[in-house]
Amino acid sequence: MRRCIMALFVTLWIAGCSDPDWQTKDISGLMPSLAFELIDENGNTVSADQFLGKTTLLFFGFTHCPDVCPTTLSRLDAATQRMDETARDEIQVLFVSVDPRRDDAETLDSYTDAFGPQFVGLTGDKAALDKLTRRYRVTYGYGEEDSEGNYDVSHSSAVFAFNAQGEARLLIRDSDPMEAVVADLERLTGEA
Amino acid sequence: MSLTPHPSLTRLAKRWCSTFLLLIATSGTLAAAELEVSEARLRLLPGDLPAAGYFTLINTSEKGVTLTGADSPAFGNVMMHRSVNQDGVTSMEPVAQLELAAGEQVEFAPGGYHLMLMKRARPLAVGDDVEVNLHFAGNQRQRVTFRAVAPTAQ
Repeated sequence: MRRCIMALFVTLWIAGCSDPDWQTKDISGLMPSLAFELIDENGNTVSADQFLGKTTLLFFGFTHCPDVCPTTLSRLDAATQRMDETARDEIQVLFVSVDPRRDDAETLDSYTDAFGPQFVGLTGDKAALDKLTRRYRVTYGYGEEDSEGNYDVSHSSAVFAFNAQGEARLLIRDSDPMEAVVADLERLTGEA
Repeated sequence: MSLTPHPSLTRLAKRWCSTFLLLIATSGTLAAAELEVSEARLRLLPGDLPAAGYFTLINTSEKGVTLTGADSPAFGNVMMHRSVNQDGVTSMEPVAQLELAAGEQVEFAPGGYHLMLMKRARPLAVGDDVEVNLHFAGNQRQRVTFRAVAPTAQ
């Protein structure tokens, strides 16, 4: 009997203390909280405070990006689709275009609509974008224009995840397995 | 009037004939058995934003082939690109050509090689079949049907 109680105690102790590591990169305390002033897809000036209360994923890109941006956004869509409905409603994805010259509010609106209701398009002038990208130590830049005015835009490929209070928690990369992303996002939304 | 054609005309006809045959041989479609294309899909974005073309190409022939580009009647401009990631910063670089040895396979897939299809010539919807011609060295072409898929398709 005593052995049984001991075994139960040890099991509970292990379960209670078990704090499995995050499967994506934990950036708690390494990156600043969510802060910005940008233009949303309706043309309104918005600040980060308006997005608190939900788990927020932040991704930098541009709409004339045929490969990487839609791939990342569709992966985030797939991850949220795998979560249960309550957790899914607790997530929003902020797509910040670093190509304001081509990405006006209207283009951003139809672009994010194509991915789902949880996607919100944002952009801003150079000063606002520089401030935000520097805050999260990422870069962006423009390639040379071709004869038809097309140009490539380099941008960070990672997704920053913030909790409902706007604190930086995770860095999700394209190389992270889908199961890891789903598990971490479920855990993060559950913390709220 | 003689019924026999003038010797020089016969020579000319022969030359034309051989030139014609040569044209067929060099600008023809590659035999289907030599190259296998599968999972050809075109991921659409809203409006006239550039689409991405993905597929798997297997060179089943006994000699090397060189993919040099593509065109499509549904788009004004098609480019061969590769996404590259350097220290967490992603960008695209143009790909002039891609050599496939006998038996070799290449995947055009998200995050790597892809076709960038710009300037739609006609409206396209998810589920549409879109014709794309793959270009190979030696003036060869292979016509491939791509299926238009949603932006959220993996």
